[in-house]
Amino acid sequence: MNGIHDMGGMQGLGEIGYKENEPGFHEPWEVRVFALVQAMRSGGLRPYIERIPAAEYLRMSYYERWYTALVTRLIESGIITRAEVKSGRADPAAVKATPALTPAVARELLFRTPKTEQDIELTPRFHVGDRVRGRNIHPTTHTRMPRYTRGKTGVVERDRGVFILPDSEYVAAKPRPQHVYLIHFTAPELWGEEASAHDSLYIDMWEDYLEPA
Amino acid sequence: MSQRHADHAHDHTEVPSEPALRVKALESLLVEKGLVDPAALDVLVDTYENKVGPRNGARVVARAWVDPAYKQRLLEDGTAAIAEFGFSGGQGEKLTVVENTPAVHNVIVCTLCSCYPWPVLGLPPTWYKSSAYRSRTVIDPRGVLRELGLDLPDDVEVRVWDSNAASRYMVLPERPQGTESMREADLARLVTRDAMIGVAKVAALSVGGGA
Repeated sequence: MNGIHDMGGMQGLGEIGYKENEPGFHEPWEVRVFALVQAMRSGGLRPYIERIPAAEYLRMSYYERWYTALVTRLIESGIITRAEVKSGRADPAAVKATPALTPAVARELLFRTPKTEQDIELTPRFHVGDRVRGRNIHPTTHTRMPRYTRGKTGVVERDRGVFILPDSEYVAAKPRPQHVYLIHFTAPELWGEEASAHDSLYIDMWEDYLEPA
Repeated sequence: MSQRHADHAHDHTEVPSEPALRVKALESLLVEKGLVDPAALDVLVDTYENKVGPRNGARVVARAWVDPAYKQRLLEDGTAAIAEFGFSGGQGEKLTVVENTPAVHNVIVCTLCSCYPWPVLGLPPTWYKSSAYRSRTVIDPRGVLRELGLDLPDDVEVRVWDSNAASRYMVLPERPQGTESMREADLARLVTRDAMIGVAKVAALSVGGGA
């Protein structure tokens, strides 16, 4: 969706706030939100983060967005209720669950590399060296195609293998496995003739995002 | 035990921030409902706070500097070469390592969110997730790098990697001059997280308290 999160190429979004050797977490609650997300094994939160209204999104800190997305997801999945979140207490009528994650499973999962690549033979539509163009599409839900690539021409640099198109990841009924390609765009193609002709951008793109150029 | 960190925060904060309270309430709710095991939460918190971090990536870089065969494996298949150290886990399925040279400078960004190679760098710093870094790095990488203290000559090719699909990227920085006689373990101490994101170079000094 053309949301505020798709911000590549925007200007005027404030300071980077760079600090050398800055830690990943600043406050104790941040790592706890992060851990709660893992412990609930709630799956991808990005679609929920991207649904946060733009003004709220920009006001929130990173882990506030995670908190908001996690709560939204748990409520929409029927795992907790809005009333419970408000009161902080479980509905006395609710059935007590069994935790999805035990300490032993947590220890094992932490260092298990997830596998999302699909062992499916699919004929690739594009090959290394092909010229391709980002399609002019405007999905209304989650997509991994940044808007700055639409209508731009690049070259296939590498075939990454077959992965489920994340745009439909949440429409479990109809997964669309397809090839993902590393695409090379020159900086002037993306940003105009004033961009350095030496410079370039690389990005992985699913087949559905591309058309022959 | 699971409340340790939250309580610790209150020792240092006169007025607990609103997010801290809301997160604590959510945690209590999920524990009360039996959805979260506090001991499992402690394992996760301890790991992400203390065990994963950029020292992993620094060891990979130092090995690549001293061992040409390892470097070749690393650039060909980052995931497999990094797994030789036993580094694995979330966000580590397809790790791609890109090499900085005198002629080419690579820099990593995630414009859509915060994709980052956890097994080698840990969790990303706040500035990496800032709206300004995410939005500007693709359109004005040289300006962003200059602002962060790295002024690249015009003839150096800048390659921006927008990581948002299956791959996560790490930069193999240039080995600084004057480090020819250094051992691998000492070299690893020179390597910074920011150099592996591509917003800094590795400086030769600092072992033994320099710089």
